[in-house]
Amino acid sequence: MSVETKQARKITVGGRMSNESFLTLFMIGVLVVLFGIACAIVPNFYLPQNMLNLITNNWYIIILGIGVTFLLITGNFDMSVGGVIALTGVLSVYFCQGANVSRNVLANGLGLPYGLALGLALLCAMGIGAINAFFIARLKVPSIIVTLGTMMLARGIAQVITRGAQRNTSLPDVFGVVGNIAIQGTSIKFSVVIMVLLVVAAFIFERMTVPGRRTYLIGANAEAARLSGITVGKHITFLYLTSALLAGITGILLASEFKAGVSSRAMGYEFDALVVALLGGVSIAGGFGSVLGMFVGAVILSVVTTSATGLLLSPDWQFTLKGIVTFIAILAQRFALDRRKG
Amino acid sequence: MKLTGNVLEIRDLVKDFPSVRAVNNVSFDIKRNTVHCLVGENGAGKSTLIKILTGAYARSSGKILLNGEEYSPHSPKNAKEKGISTLFQELNVVDQLTVAENLTLGMEDTTFGFLRKTDKINKMVSVMNSLEPSISPRQLVSTLSVAKKQIVEIAKAVATESDIIIMDEPTAAISESEIARLFKIVKGLREKNVTVIYISHRLDEIFELGDYVTVMRDGKHIDTKPVSEIQDRSELIRMMIGKTVFEVYTPKKDRSQETILQVRNLSNHKLNGISFEVKKGEIVGFYGLVGAGKTELARAIYGADDYEGEILFKGEKLHPSPHKVIEAGIALVPEERRSQGLFTILTIRGNVPVMNMGKISRNGFINSSQERKVTLEYIEKLRIATSSTEKEVIKLSGGNQQKVVFSKCLFADADLLMLDEPTRGIDVGAKSEIYGIIRRLSEEGKSILIFSSELPEIMNICDSIYLLYDGNLKAALQNGYDIDSEKIIHIVTGGE
Repeated sequence: MSVETKQARKITVGGRMSNESFLTLFMIGVLVVLFGIACAIVPNFYLPQNMLNLITNNWYIIILGIGVTFLLITGNFDMSVGGVIALTGVLSVYFCQGANVSRNVLANGLGLPYGLALGLALLCAMGIGAINAFFIARLKVPSIIVTLGTMMLARGIAQVITRGAQRNTSLPDVFGVVGNIAIQGTSIKFSVVIMVLLVVAAFIFERMTVPGRRTYLIGANAEAARLSGITVGKHITFLYLTSALLAGITGILLASEFKAGVSSRAMGYEFDALVVALLGGVSIAGGFGSVLGMFVGAVILSVVTTSATGLLLSPDWQFTLKGIVTFIAILAQRFALDRRKG
Repeated sequence: MKLTGNVLEIRDLVKDFPSVRAVNNVSFDIKRNTVHCLVGENGAGKSTLIKILTGAYARSSGKILLNGEEYSPHSPKNAKEKGISTLFQELNVVDQLTVAENLTLGMEDTTFGFLRKTDKINKMVSVMNSLEPSISPRQLVSTLSVAKKQIVEIAKAVATESDIIIMDEPTAAISESEIARLFKIVKGLREKNVTVIYISHRLDEIFELGDYVTVMRDGKHIDTKPVSEIQDRSELIRMMIGKTVFEVYTPKKDRSQETILQVRNLSNHKLNGISFEVKKGEIVGFYGLVGAGKTELARAIYGADDYEGEILFKGEKLHPSPHKVIEAGIALVPEERRSQGLFTILTIRGNVPVMNMGKISRNGFINSSQERKVTLEYIEKLRIATSSTEKEVIKLSGGNQQKVVFSKCLFADADLLMLDEPTRGIDVGAKSEIYGIIRRLSEEGKSILIFSSELPEIMNICDSIYLLYDGNLKAALQNGYDIDSEKIIHIVTGGE
């Protein structure tokens, strides 16, 4: 191979692990340690079913985390994902509910066929993504402001449609299927399977494709990216649409699971998605991070909150705990990266 | 009272970094009230030495005496208090404040936290007036040119009775006429009991300005001499790099008549009806002072800025977007390599192929072995000093970073390359290497547009020279025939 002759000049090709891989491995290390501690002190933590739950109970945060991670890598936030879940859930229910079946306004919907109803709901979710993209990519408004706006807009529409409550009657039976079926003989739900498929797809996108690479280039230096011929606005638009679509899918799965469109669903999920991305080493400054890291971050958060519950800590402590874990993770990453540089 | 003798004595100074000894046993003296130039290639240890003097780095060993007393600042602020001020390339002024407010910034007199008007400000303003009367203390700093902002900083350093002002490439971003004014001020500082340590890549400035010159190479002190004892540029260059560099233009023998680029009546907020043509294989230089419209012209052709008029490339109209322009076969090495050209937190491998990802991918999937091969190819071709394709670009020196930008543009397979200030802030050795690359490309039939504010650079390598002044194309010259640098300067400074 020609590479071997060139190595004689002592220019190494590859070999050195990227900082992303290093951090992901580091966080896996942190996860293993935390897991060990939890097994030792939390009753029944080691049971296989519990271990499985650590991942499967978090499927919705991980799906959201994919979109949020890629946007963070480009240097943009998406705080609208929680609102989009509520909106899509409510809309999918509203579109499916029978028309003129009851005197109760909340029991009457549009009576659309199931498939069409879901398609329309997803389209509406992407509409929110399109609003985000328009303001951020075209008008250059800071993403945090825009997506906080669409977060409220999406949830607001959901509240209007549900009159501030929920819609859960006159739904066809098929509506409750996707959110509740599981792989035969296990407790692994279809939603979890989708999550795993999406994580694999995201991993391939990130590591092996040209658009995946573009995501990093834009985050590392948007102006240089533009001058290098990358259509930055188009790519940001694509990522916001994707993020909204992922939130929409999550919204439909959650609505199906509970067979209800609830306007207060997924309150605060945008922050959870942000936290797991940060735990996984994604940089808010852009240009750095990975989906795998985000996945590990989500499991770490899950280990901590599950142990807290297992130790009979009052649920009131959940937020405080998440805050502390976030700080410790950030300190640990800083420490690890500084060590590596030296 | 005028003091004489040494203001600064450096003895056996060493600075070690984990992998390299950046300053290696350096000893020399700086005489009081002189302009002392510090030269050396990038990586010679100048910056590290300066950072030790300004308190940004701690030394590993050695001794520094300031006015005969042990000097070891623990922070830039502390260095300033002890009498060493620095004029960095990134100026330390606040645009939104007035000149007077900037002068007293950080040393305002206050009562219970409220500002108090005192004599201090008058003293500051009078110092500034003596340096440059045209600056009003009530003016907002944002309305000043870079050169005048420098003067505000110099005034501040003089008024606070600094013994030494370090100037790090002060002329890199200012025009020739402003340079003349700056030089006058710097020369006048000797009378004000101020010693200047002057760092510049422009060697001519050293002969014009310097009393003494210290040459560094590979972290070592090579020599300190009175400037009057140095014969010419090439002696200085020999000391800096230990070998001679020739810079002579030889006109091309046979030139292609095939036109590749036609610009017709190009106008925008900065440009005024510019028209010209470029032949295949031709090296065209655009020379003008800062603000003449060089960068704006490059950006307009590249589609990065809006314009009116018509640009034909290989006979077809160009769409004004970098994406389309690159596809058509034009690449740009932008003015600011760090903010416009490079993805500094990514690796060399992450940077080199970005302008032509199609060449290393299939159906959108990156072929990583090909990517590595290509990166390695350019590292060798352009002799980028690195140990690995996986080194982050931010860790490379300025010259090597610029070579990465070049690699990026060369990999785009462009037929026309536009180079905006291609050798700014690069040491002499890397400069001549880059000129070599440009000549080679031209021999391969690529056309090259160079936008530069350094006349020697334009005269050394360009076949045709266009002079810009205030957004207008003032003159077109053929290099090699009756080129008169005085006349060129006359035109680009607004003369007819």
